[in-house]
Amino acid sequence: MSRSIVGQLILKDLYLVRWMIAGSLVAGAAALAIMPLSPVSAYVGGVSFICVLVILNIILVMGAVVQEKKDKVLLFVLSLPVSTSQYVAAKVLSNAIAFVVPWVVLTVAAIVVIDMSQIPNGILPFLITVLGYLLCYYCVLLAVALITDSTAWHSTVITVGNVSVNFLIPFLLGLASVARHREGPTAVWTADIAAILGIEIAAGAAALGLAVYLCSRRTDFV
Amino acid sequence: MTEPVIELEGVEKSYRFFQLSDVRLRLDAGQIMGFVGPNGAGKSTTIRILMAMIGQDRGTVRVLGHPLPREQAAAKRHIGFVSEDMRLYGPATLAWHIRFVASIYPGWDAAYASALLHRFNLHPEQAIKLLSHGERVKATLLLALARRPRLLVLDEPTTGLDPVARHEVLAELMDVVRDERRAILFSSHNTQDIEQISDQITFIDRGRIIDSSDKETFLDRWRRLHLDVPPGVTPPAPDGVIETTASGRIAVVTTKAYTPELDGVYERAGVTVREVQRMTLEEIFVANVMSNRREKVT
Repeated sequence: MSRSIVGQLILKDLYLVRWMIAGSLVAGAAALAIMPLSPVSAYVGGVSFICVLVILNIILVMGAVVQEKKDKVLLFVLSLPVSTSQYVAAKVLSNAIAFVVPWVVLTVAAIVVIDMSQIPNGILPFLITVLGYLLCYYCVLLAVALITDSTAWHSTVITVGNVSVNFLIPFLLGLASVARHREGPTAVWTADIAAILGIEIAAGAAALGLAVYLCSRRTDFV
Repeated sequence: MTEPVIELEGVEKSYRFFQLSDVRLRLDAGQIMGFVGPNGAGKSTTIRILMAMIGQDRGTVRVLGHPLPREQAAAKRHIGFVSEDMRLYGPATLAWHIRFVASIYPGWDAAYASALLHRFNLHPEQAIKLLSHGERVKATLLLALARRPRLLVLDEPTTGLDPVARHEVLAELMDVVRDERRAILFSSHNTQDIEQISDQITFIDRGRIIDSSDKETFLDRWRRLHLDVPPGVTPPAPDGVIETTASGRIAVVTTKAYTPELDGVYERAGVTVREVQRMTLEEIFVANVMSNRREKVT
């Protein structure tokens, strides 16, 4: 029963966000498609590609977690034969699937597009690090949405998360290892790139882990 | 003695500006309890504790034999819950909600769900966000009733409904209560609704249960007596009198422990009982709350 109810809640959440996932895949594919056309379109496509994932991130968390609480749909969900820990597990898993699946699909598609086009493969470590940041940003926003109902906290994380991309990109491009290889024909994974990726993955996992831990200790859900 | 459907013992919950204190509640199978209190009395907090949506600070909660919040999932398999402020997923249709809930409850009664759709004049393919408030309440009631739950918990379900929708909802509940194995906890501040369907009444005010009994006992023991008090005579104050108001020779006494012998007590003291009035549940509720508040002040 417990596994099936978690499964049912995951399927329910995925059904409700199906158009967001499909829309992000279409928009992401369109952004990638224009990238090989010219240096300007590569820039426009790249920025659009990042925007698609940022928008998906915000819409998913605000729609599936925050709005569910604000609209009191949570009363309906918690009236079902589900424990609060099962609810949290289902929410984390469904949201992880809803974001990670398009993220993986679009990341693979971006690698393929870059590999098959005139865009130098040397840019790939930079791109993957930016995409890693977006994954980390998603985990942090999801964690904050699970932990608190505070609109101020949600807005703060969204603002900081969006603005930080503008600092991260010049920072990464300014790294000697990235600057040296980004115009090159092959992707070079240097130690500092690997370290940044590691930090992004660890920070995202830690945020979600903390959210699950705090939710497991929480007694009041409405 | 069979196990109660709901059993709350010494339940407490503290918030910054509100405290639920020593709540004791018992509901047996086949009973319909009206849970009455003014706004902010603690009805919804109590109900959310027994739905394990809120954890109690102290005390024990058992629902259908399951201790809460530990065994909440098992308990909720047999509970149907409807709350005035409960919402469904706006973009999804009622048919989708029905399929979703039916997939979770093995005992889902599809024929009954269809009958309720017809009776409530609901259109399954309509998106929830397009439903009126009354239709939304009826939709949540349908989703709760067709599970065929052993316990139905209704938190102010008739609040904000127009008279026709209210009649439809209450008529359906009257139908449900014919099943003697089922228990219902019905919270409201509308005593008319409570009086119509409940056989047990519990009053709550400012976080405390102030009275609890079966409806007939409430209606039988509460009376308003109109007395003629001659000058120089002081009317006695028998047990159970909670309020006396006087104007000249006329005094009005409200008692929560009326027996026909009370008339004799007044007559022997030289006071004439002009009229003994039955009280409505609303009058009993208001008198009970006000008397309780006065007692707390003194």
